[in-house]
Amino acid sequence: MELLNNLAHYTGWVYPNETVFEWSLLIAVYPYLTGLVAGAFTVSSLYQVFGFQRLKPVAHLALLTSLCFMVFVPVPLLLHLGHPERAFNSTITPHLTSAMAMFGFFASFYVVLLILETWFAYRPFIVEQAQKRSDLLGRFYRLLTLGSYDLSEKAMRYDRKWIFALAVVGIPAAHGLHGYVGFMYGSLKAREWWSSDLMPVVFLFSAIISGVSLLAVLYVVTCKLRKVPIDLACLKGLGYTIWGFIMVALVLEGLEFANIVYKGREGVDMIMEYVTGPLLVPYFVLQMGVGAITPLILLSYMIWRGTTGRALIWGITLSAALVLMSVFMMRWNVVIGGQEISKTGKGLLSYNPLIFGKEGLFMGIALTFAPLGALWVISRVFPPWEDAAAPSHAGAH
Amino acid sequence: MKNDSKPSSATRREFLGKLGRATACVGAVAGALSVLPEVSAKTEAPSAGGSFPNKDYDWTKHQWAFGVDATKCIGCLRCAEACKRENDVPRNAHQFRTWVERYVYLEGEERAHIDSQQDPVNIEASGSEKEYRFANRYKDAKVEKAFFVPKLCNHCTHPACVQVCPVGATYRTEDGVVLIDHTYCIGCRYCVQACPYGARYFNEEKGVSDKCTWCYHRITKGLQPACVEVCPVGARIFGDLKDKQSPVSLFIRNNRVQVLRPETGNAPNVYYVGIDKEVN
Amino acid sequence: MPKHILRLVLLILGFLVIASVAVPLLTDASFYRFGHYRANSVIEIAAQDPVYQTPRYCQGCHAPRHAQWSAGSHKSVSCEVCHGAAQGHPQNGKLPIPADAVKLCTLCHEAMPGRPATQPQVQVAQHSSGQQCTLCHNPHSPKIVAAATKVAGDAAAGKQRAAACVSCHGVDGTSPNDTWPNLAGQSAAYLAKILAAYKSGDQKDVAMTPLAQALSNADIQNLAAYYAGQSCKAPARASGGGDAAAGRALAKNCAACHGETGVGGNPAWPKLAAQKPGYLVNALKAFKAGLRKDPMMAGVSRGLSDADIANLAAFYAGQSCQSTKQGKTTP
Repeated sequence: MELLNNLAHYTGWVYPNETVFEWSLLIAVYPYLTGLVAGAFTVSSLYQVFGFQRLKPVAHLALLTSLCFMVFVPVPLLLHLGHPERAFNSTITPHLTSAMAMFGFFASFYVVLLILETWFAYRPFIVEQAQKRSDLLGRFYRLLTLGSYDLSEKAMRYDRKWIFALAVVGIPAAHGLHGYVGFMYGSLKAREWWSSDLMPVVFLFSAIISGVSLLAVLYVVTCKLRKVPIDLACLKGLGYTIWGFIMVALVLEGLEFANIVYKGREGVDMIMEYVTGPLLVPYFVLQMGVGAITPLILLSYMIWRGTTGRALIWGITLSAALVLMSVFMMRWNVVIGGQEISKTGKGLLSYNPLIFGKEGLFMGIALTFAPLGALWVISRVFPPWEDAAAPSHAGAH
Repeated sequence: MKNDSKPSSATRREFLGKLGRATACVGAVAGALSVLPEVSAKTEAPSAGGSFPNKDYDWTKHQWAFGVDATKCIGCLRCAEACKRENDVPRNAHQFRTWVERYVYLEGEERAHIDSQQDPVNIEASGSEKEYRFANRYKDAKVEKAFFVPKLCNHCTHPACVQVCPVGATYRTEDGVVLIDHTYCIGCRYCVQACPYGARYFNEEKGVSDKCTWCYHRITKGLQPACVEVCPVGARIFGDLKDKQSPVSLFIRNNRVQVLRPETGNAPNVYYVGIDKEVN
Repeated sequence: MPKHILRLVLLILGFLVIASVAVPLLTDASFYRFGHYRANSVIEIAAQDPVYQTPRYCQGCHAPRHAQWSAGSHKSVSCEVCHGAAQGHPQNGKLPIPADAVKLCTLCHEAMPGRPATQPQVQVAQHSSGQQCTLCHNPHSPKIVAAATKVAGDAAAGKQRAAACVSCHGVDGTSPNDTWPNLAGQSAAYLAKILAAYKSGDQKDVAMTPLAQALSNADIQNLAAYYAGQSCKAPARASGGGDAAAGRALAKNCAACHGETGVGGNPAWPKLAAQKPGYLVNALKAFKAGLRKDPMMAGVSRGLSDADIANLAAFYAGQSCQSTKQGKTTP
């Protein structure tokens, strides 16, 4: 019943049914999580498929990060549904005209793919641990071997082929998983702020920079925690990736906004009033200025000056953190922002997030950080570190 | 690293055996996949005599439509209250299956002042969120033009809400009414976002989305929707398009009618007479 | 193929088989019958019980009231609009009779910008000064149309017949005392109506009843025409025993039918200006007690105290009946 008290204040004219925000904080957190999943997988694929050798130190970390965040992806949705126990209706009788029906298929396909790719990547390690250990964890590893301890050259060839195939297929899968959300918003003609052909692409590119930034931050933090030197070439590779994709993301977001303003359709007055008013700080200052242009300048400077060493580490970490903030603001500005502009085109509402409760601020923060806890656990079972006492992985070509 | 150390002919036999079993499995799966959907589709109970949904009402014989004459509406809001009572809609001022909007142009102003039942001034005038009334706030103002516009679900022919439902909980019937299956809806609210008219809302108590049903349970019994029944001035018209003499057929034939937001391509089925440039 | 690959593939295939078996089992039997939805849902929705029963249902037990209602100007207002939905009635007891008529009636009839001019609407404060609408208006047939009876009598013949009335009502229609009313200049339609009522027994008066019974219908028409044609010469004189100023305030509530100063208004209702105060007092008391029968007047006079009555009488008595100014009429 908490939502009944959470009626939105509004100015101008809004439809009576609009005074409740249907898609709240959780629905802004959800694409953020899937974006991190897609972005992290992109890093892994840059190594596995496109041969960015310098990203090898983070390749397995990226895979595990993608998996950990993927596990938590359904949680905000289930918390938000009116009937979470009926959630499987969308897989039993998926309505194929609905973009949201795709979630079940993309999600299940992708999570299986991730599990498979992780399994293949860690197979030598699993086999080794199955043979070495005799505790409960040993039994776990032995189960995962599927009864085969074959690490012959022939088997490894098969494994490499599978890893490559999965990494290739995984790119559209991960991007589909995140892109369909962008498509859901972009294809909705009822809201002018959402309705745009560019929306899925904008979502995807900002997802990529968020995932890469997450990996950069995680890499630096884990190296520091493990007191291990940071591979500067790898970090710089991540930095280059962020740098390149920020530019594309900025161009796309800029194009989208420019289109709205230039086309000047019905309702554009309200959008302009909104963007120059309540959305000025979240959109122009936080998302664009602080979160995108600042890292872009910082990274450009570091690339131009050939920064290295501690300055590079700090610079890239800071840029990555700002990008992470910016991408969350982008999700917020789209999801919440779109609902703050009334469908009438004549009014604005204001969203006040709850603090507690299943759709509250605390829950949003918990959902964003819980995957990191899962990552910590899983890295004990499947260590992603290059320099650990792990056998040579079945790497890429 | 361990290796299999069997003779090659044994491994070949093993392999062929496994291949054979795998093929059989795949064949079984393929066969099952092709047969099962047809089997499952036939497991429903046979209909009674072919008339659906019940023996007294055959939905293939009707095509419902609605008319709104905004030149007649007096803004008494008996429709909004009757609908809530008829359909167990939450008694508050922010969830409606049907509502009325007031448009007032004051002298010297270009844009209309628009208000409806969720406006706090109107809530104060009625005294509670359970009863509805328009506050007479313009009685001392210089009003150039003013009118009331009843709104409700348009039961579109190409409904955006039906398109986006991920599970098939909302649908359009053969007689032209868009309904919601409250036992199947998962409560994702995608349909609420998709409706360009703001006709849908989420019922927190039931955990499902809800909207006007043209009182399907009444019209299939030969009654009028509750809002049409109680309107004292005939601002709401309902009827069967298949009957050329029904009130709505006459309404459409005898008036210059228009629909809301035709550019969406939804093809709404509520026809308006007497609305104005700012009504959307 | 290596063992582990094969086993993996078998695992995946196994899962797919289970899924493809489970999906149809979990799907509702009526799904896909007409489209991508549960066909049984349509049956369930159509089977719900209506809450509002329509006036035809009310007619079953309330036939006379229904007849009155369907002949009146509220025939487009369903019974359940004012009385609430009739589901479960009469098993669950009576339906409420709205207590606060002002709150209910003004929902439709308060003058408000935006309401079409065809809608009867009033400025509430000026129309009834806060009185309940039902004092004057029958909610089942609210239009106060005392259809003014056409009077086509012969004034000259009426004058001859009026000879029998002179002893009480005066030679020129101006009564010699306080008790019997002035008739000069009174509305013809009203006079015809009231005489007919005395004649038929709808109204009873010790004096008037036998006199009226002796009149023919033609007589009534002629008398009405004669007295209406008389010019009212009664002096506007406030009488002692009542506060005319207080009466003026009360008379605002009477203006709708009797005009602001007792002239004007619907000709079916009597002019009150310069009427004998004693007669007015007696008449109001008689209405209040139900001795003189008029549902509207009964309602209006119910709330009047003796002092109010005296004040009203004083006010009207002091009004000039020569006024050509039309009193305020409301449709």
